[in-house]
Amino acid sequence: MKSGRWLLWGALLLLTAALLSVLVFLAAEYELSRDQAQLEEDVATVAGDIRSALLRNVQTLQSLHSVAPSPNAWNAPASELLQTHREMMRLEWRDAALQPLSVRVSPFTPGVFDFLDREQAQPEVVQACEAARRASGPAYSASYFWPMRDGKGLELIEMCLPVAFAGKPQGMLVVTYALSGILTELINRDLMRGRGLSFNEADGTRLAIFSAIPANRRNLRAQTVLDLPGHTLILQLESPRRARGLFPNVLTAVVGLLSLALLVVLFLLGRDIRRRQRAEQDLANALAFRKAMEDSLVTGLRARDMSGRITYVNPAFCQMVGRRADELIGSGPPAPWWPPELADEYQQRQEVRLAGRYFPREGFESVFQRPDGTRFPVLIIEAPLIDAQGEQTGYMSAILDLTEQRRIEDLNRATFERLQATARLATVGEMASLISHELNQPLAAIASYASGMLNVLRDPGVGSLSPEDQRQAIERIAEQAERAGRVIKSVADFVRRRDTEREAVPPASLIDSIYPLVALQAKKQGVRLQIDIDPNCPPVLCDRTMIEQVLLNLTRNGIQAMPMGDPPAGSGLRVLGIRVARASPEPALSPGRAGPAWVSFAVTDHGQGLSPEVAQRLFTPYFTTKADGMGLGLSLCRTVVEQHGGALTHQPAEPRGTTFRFSLPVTPI
Amino acid sequence: MNPFPDAKVYLVDDDVGVREALSWLLRTRRLLSDSYGSAEAFLADEVVWNKEPEAPCCLLLDVRMPGMSGLALFERLKTLPWQAAMPVIFLSGHADVPTAVDAVKRGAFDFCEKPFSDNALVDRIEQALTQSAQVIHQRRVQREWRQRMDSLTDRERDVMDLVVAGLPNKLVADQLGISVRTVEVHRSRVFDKMGVKSAVELANALRAAP
Repeated sequence: MKSGRWLLWGALLLLTAALLSVLVFLAAEYELSRDQAQLEEDVATVAGDIRSALLRNVQTLQSLHSVAPSPNAWNAPASELLQTHREMMRLEWRDAALQPLSVRVSPFTPGVFDFLDREQAQPEVVQACEAARRASGPAYSASYFWPMRDGKGLELIEMCLPVAFAGKPQGMLVVTYALSGILTELINRDLMRGRGLSFNEADGTRLAIFSAIPANRRNLRAQTVLDLPGHTLILQLESPRRARGLFPNVLTAVVGLLSLALLVVLFLLGRDIRRRQRAEQDLANALAFRKAMEDSLVTGLRARDMSGRITYVNPAFCQMVGRRADELIGSGPPAPWWPPELADEYQQRQEVRLAGRYFPREGFESVFQRPDGTRFPVLIIEAPLIDAQGEQTGYMSAILDLTEQRRIEDLNRATFERLQATARLATVGEMASLISHELNQPLAAIASYASGMLNVLRDPGVGSLSPEDQRQAIERIAEQAERAGRVIKSVADFVRRRDTEREAVPPASLIDSIYPLVALQAKKQGVRLQIDIDPNCPPVLCDRTMIEQVLLNLTRNGIQAMPMGDPPAGSGLRVLGIRVARASPEPALSPGRAGPAWVSFAVTDHGQGLSPEVAQRLFTPYFTTKADGMGLGLSLCRTVVEQHGGALTHQPAEPRGTTFRFSLPVTPI
Repeated sequence: MNPFPDAKVYLVDDDVGVREALSWLLRTRRLLSDSYGSAEAFLADEVVWNKEPEAPCCLLLDVRMPGMSGLALFERLKTLPWQAAMPVIFLSGHADVPTAVDAVKRGAFDFCEKPFSDNALVDRIEQALTQSAQVIHQRRVQREWRQRMDSLTDRERDVMDLVVAGLPNKLVADQLGISVRTVEVHRSRVFDKMGVKSAVELANALRAAP
């Protein structure tokens, strides 16, 4: 992945370099061709210049002849002409037979015609004049080398021009041009800077040179044909190749720069892409982190838009309300988890809350419903959802399921109540002791008076007891009896206060709440519990904690009636039965209530059973068969049951043991 | 009919009804009684308890009372040397029975559970008074005996010890290095002071004395 990227970068660099070099090469080529074209153009210009200059010379010569029609008169202007035209070496006026009539030599190059006789050039003159005669116009001879004294020489060319005066041919005018002179005088010298110009033969031999540059194969050359009437010359322009840098011109430089800029931009783009990739990676990581966090939460999360539609839920929330996320998203009020009969209230509550923009930090409590109809309490903490632009787009809520919390609270409350009930029972025990003392006092007094009276009756003369004393004693008996009555009444008041705490309780829940304690005791004694609750039992109206105490008392008695080994472990009789069932009304016990149903609670042990003596005194307060017993348990149980309108009875169980049974009224509907 | 015409029963109970009833009952049995509403009230009446009683008496004490309890009062009285002359019967309610039993173990005469069988209680009171009379009598005899002993001179005591040991006068005279005549004088003085007529009687009396 990484090496591949570097390979790409290398290829890109190579390509760019190649592009640049090709560009440089092409640019150089282009410039070369442009130089070449320039050269061609220049040489054509030079040739044109030469041609037109030669043409002008012809005209000048013709005019010269027309001004001075005689050889003598001609001499002066001819000399003058030679002075102004350095390219001309010699000017001759020849007759029709090509014999010179008058000759003028250029003053600038004396001695040219000294070394050789002019006659040596006669063939060229003839050739030119023949051609001129034929063409009736100027004609040139071939060029020829004219050696001079000191080994030098000049390349010369003859031009012959037939002249006439007043319609009559006057012979020929022959002009000898030096090729070098032509080059020197007839061209625009500006074009020649740094260049070499020469007349060449077809085979490349140089005939005349205007300016020379060092011979080099790389020099640019341009040739053009200078065709004169009668002869053709090749004009060559030579130019050295211009030295060039790496960026020979602006174009290449610009292209190079642009390429570099392109590279830089590409590099920046690459870096940007890498940064973007990293940012995307980070974002993906953050998303995964957030998702894991949301999935692991037990707190339900829910987002809603401004109209109350769900836009987001987390798995905890889905689990909480028992619906899938795709069912929930997009659903608006009324929400599917609202209990149907409370939906209106919730709707109003939500509108009020959202309108007020008040989101209490501690949240508010509500009740949700699952699709199966079960309900559970929740705590909702809501906050506005603000997007990156600072606009509120909806509401975010955290939802806590309070079921467990409630359960613990209930459990705590139940435990507390049980404790309280135990405390109350202890209070009842203490009360009993107190009451017994309170009652003992008047009873003791009454007994004393009664005995005293008996003594008086038995021994009338005793002491100094007058009839008044005796009357007083009997009054005292009445007083003390009344006092005892007051004590009893206060107890009755205390007990009656409990009437208000009755509630409807399903019998099974009564058994459930005592079950752990009973099971613990039973296990300790190796007794098996056999609980049989009629599922159709309606709730009973009772003071829950008091009835629980009764049940606890009866079950504890039952378990204690079966000490280890009696009945023996293998007999299958070490069973404490708890049986709850609907009972028929007991008319004997509740004559006024023939209608209402009753639920009977029976606790059966398989101990030794009750002897007739014990059975007789069973409910007597302070009567006990236990070493550490107070003798209050059963009597209190009976009191409690009777306060509920029921009765506590006992009967022998099969095959042995005792069944204690009491009934409670069913909650009236 | 009343064996204790000068006897006194002290009643300490916080309940006025009980006090009056018991007092009335005792009257029907020809017994005099004084009532106190609390242990503190009884202690305030020092004449009753802070001197040795001369007539038989007993104390009926309620175990449970506001303020000082019957038990605490009993502990206080137990420090008196003549406590046995004033036997204590506790009156207890049901819950106080163990306390009362404990008190009996520590020297109380008896306890009676309320509501009591009243004439049985009076019978116990009479028994307590009998004990009280006996203790008072014994204490009086002892006191007199100690006075007689204290009145003897050293020489007379020496003579008495030897006489009681059964020695004849001659041997006594030899042993003490005095004349027989002197022994005889001393001996008659001892008999005089101790209120006896013979050496045998004296020996019996000495054996009986603590």
